[in-house]
Amino acid sequence: MKRIQKRITTIMFFVTLMMLPLITLFSEKKDFSELENRPLQKSPAFSFDDWFDKSFMSEFESFVSDHFTGRAKWINVKINSELMTGKNEINGIYITDERLIEKIPEPEYEAVDRSIEAINKLAETTETPVYVMIAPTSAGVYTDTLPKNAPQLDQQEVIEHIYGGFNSKVSSIDVFDILNASKEDYIYYRTDHHWTSLGAYVAYSTAISKLGFTSIPYSKYDVEHASSDFLGTYYSKTLYDSVQSDTIDIYSNKDGGSVVSCTINNGLEEKTYDSIYFREFLETKDKYSTYLGTNQPVINIKTNLQSDKKILIFKDSYANSFIPFLTQHYNEITALDMRYINNFREYALPEDYTHILFLYNCTTFASDDNIKKIAY
Amino acid sequence: MVFSSLTFLYFFLPVVIISYMLVPKKIKNVILFVSGLLFYAWGEPTYIWVMIVSAFVDFAAGIIMGRTEKKSTRRMALIFSMIVDLGFLFVFKYSGFVVGVINSVFGTSITEPDLPLPIGISFYTFQSMSYTIDVYLGKVKVQKNFINYLTYVSLFPQLVAGPIVRYDEVADEIDERTVNVDNVSEGIGTFVKGLAKKVLLANNIGMLWTQVKAMDYSELSVLTAWLGILAFTFQIYFDFSGYSDMAKGLGKIFGFNFPINFDHPYQSRSISEFWRRWHITLGSWFRNYLYIPLGGNRNGKLKTYRNLAIVWLLTGFWHGASFNFILWGAFYGVLIIIERLGFSKVLEKLPVAVSTAYTFLMVVIGWVMFDIETLPGVFSYLKAMFAGNGLTDSFGLYQLSSYGVMFVLCIFASTDIFTKLTTRLSSGKASAVYYYSLPVVQLLLILLSTCYLVDATYNPFLYFRF
Repeated sequence: MKRIQKRITTIMFFVTLMMLPLITLFSEKKDFSELENRPLQKSPAFSFDDWFDKSFMSEFESFVSDHFTGRAKWINVKINSELMTGKNEINGIYITDERLIEKIPEPEYEAVDRSIEAINKLAETTETPVYVMIAPTSAGVYTDTLPKNAPQLDQQEVIEHIYGGFNSKVSSIDVFDILNASKEDYIYYRTDHHWTSLGAYVAYSTAISKLGFTSIPYSKYDVEHASSDFLGTYYSKTLYDSVQSDTIDIYSNKDGGSVVSCTINNGLEEKTYDSIYFREFLETKDKYSTYLGTNQPVINIKTNLQSDKKILIFKDSYANSFIPFLTQHYNEITALDMRYINNFREYALPEDYTHILFLYNCTTFASDDNIKKIAY
Repeated sequence: MVFSSLTFLYFFLPVVIISYMLVPKKIKNVILFVSGLLFYAWGEPTYIWVMIVSAFVDFAAGIIMGRTEKKSTRRMALIFSMIVDLGFLFVFKYSGFVVGVINSVFGTSITEPDLPLPIGISFYTFQSMSYTIDVYLGKVKVQKNFINYLTYVSLFPQLVAGPIVRYDEVADEIDERTVNVDNVSEGIGTFVKGLAKKVLLANNIGMLWTQVKAMDYSELSVLTAWLGILAFTFQIYFDFSGYSDMAKGLGKIFGFNFPINFDHPYQSRSISEFWRRWHITLGSWFRNYLYIPLGGNRNGKLKTYRNLAIVWLLTGFWHGASFNFILWGAFYGVLIIIERLGFSKVLEKLPVAVSTAYTFLMVVIGWVMFDIETLPGVFSYLKAMFAGNGLTDSFGLYQLSSYGVMFVLCIFASTDIFTKLTTRLSSGKASAVYYYSLPVVQLLLILLSTCYLVDATYNPFLYFRF
């Protein structure tokens, strides 16, 4: 039987070592991984320059690992075996039964303070009232569901630091407590870093009264479950598939105002649409982009409301599912993403608006160094 | 290229093995030396010439020594080849360090030569020197075929991280060896064991050390400091011995018998025993080509201690051109001299648990010096281990819960319990079960290692400084 074992071992080894690369070589190659949400390494072309500076080797190795047959399944086995040994953190994401939670690093407070200063400066130079709303991410709200002792940033502390830095011209809108109180509801995606439409609605109901309006009651809205198999960015980072996929909800109020036009400037050209929802994204991996499309420098929305109220929003992608609720109150909404803009006055002047709102999630605000550009 | 990569495992290796098996005996060495050069060039496309030149010089020195009986000519040939070998090693590995020291001592500002360290240079230089020295001493026959000699030097299984195979250990097999299913299956078993050690144990536990190593040592709790350095203790052992197992296994597949390099070192009951079980081929190289030529222990106690001191300082320095490695070598030199002075008799009388714990503790302290590059770093880490910022903290407790199971696996796998168990199973009544389940276990280990290689966020090569 020792002889048989030797044969089986030898055959097993060579079959494994030959089958997997052959399947890999002859399988179809993609340029982009929808699952992981990143471009894949293309087959490297040989050249002596690339050989001697070793870029050929590193590209070849990424090519093999990116296209290795059944890549996602291998990774899933790896994650499950890591979880079995007691680890619960993969690529910077904590894995809990209910949801995937990002491990947020300590912010660089000097950069944060530059953003705060810039907002103070803008508020001093305009008559238009300035509001700031920093939303916690799911990592800030669900800290208590993390494994014991797991390192995590206290987002409430960061938000308090930010709000504490504003001068009297800036009004801050605190939504941490209301979101924290609603944590049993579906206010954050389980597999993505965004809040859900419900989360945005919860924040809206607090924010809108600060802005001087009465909020539209939840019961007025019809909620359409546009998709229920959304797997977001946290999923892409881990490929862990035992957390339930997410639902994209679209809220509509039959009795309220409606969008007349939505003009998007991508930095090169302007296009006008008649809706703020881009349902074509429901068929792709990036389903959150159903709300106002992918991140764009300038978005201008006009509604049929008989009102002279206009709002200028400086934002990250958290605003994309929040803005639909504002269309019930403003005649015109301009949303600027400073990551793609240098001089915002080319697109909007503060004096033309009733309100200015900064809407960021805590992690973007703490890590994005582009906000300071508004003070230029 | 490294063994623990998809490219090696699923592209390079199958192609090499299949072509090796298919070609007639005479051409097998050509396959090996071409694949050795390709393997080496994959990681070191430019400085491959250093290896080829030094191999050629040693080969030529051997030829010259083979043609003459004249002692002075033979000595000249040996000295010339050693100057070239050690010259390359000095220029590429130590010149930057030496210039830096000169600059700081004399206040000069000589530009440091910014040369990369060719991968594996310390390993192949030592291997190749074992050949010329042994030819000079008349211990081995002269190799007359350059292809065969280059095959020995560039034999890819042990090229970049050992074991350091002396020429005399494989001299016969370079010319004549058998490839059969016994060797191949045994080699596969050893290779898979090594792969699993590297990919499943070393890489995973090593992630903890990477985190701790990057922290501020003055803030570490005692728990965190110990978890960190114990993680490195297991990482370096499973990484290094895993590499050696993979090398030995691959050698066996091709028909070579490489020497054993690690023998459960963490079970040692004294430091001397530890070094008979850890990186065995390096220790035996230094013994054969330095300690014994210096006179060993035959010229009185004082010279013995001098020789030990030289050997251990150089052993430390061999691991890397920086002060922490010299400190590490000196640390072992002192411990071994203390044992020679009579402490080894004390250790023998102590209970096994106590002497093993003493040895392990010293080894762990040694790893602090080994892996923290700056001397102030070494001392503040040691301080954290014995008088840290509190006994425990939440970071340490969290890491304990994340890595606890890994630690248990590592402790288990670094003792000989596993070897004993398999020996008993394979000869006992249930040996049929053992032999049938062995291929299944091997397959599972390959597949599980593949999972970790496909998603290799952390797969370091630890010997780039050797």
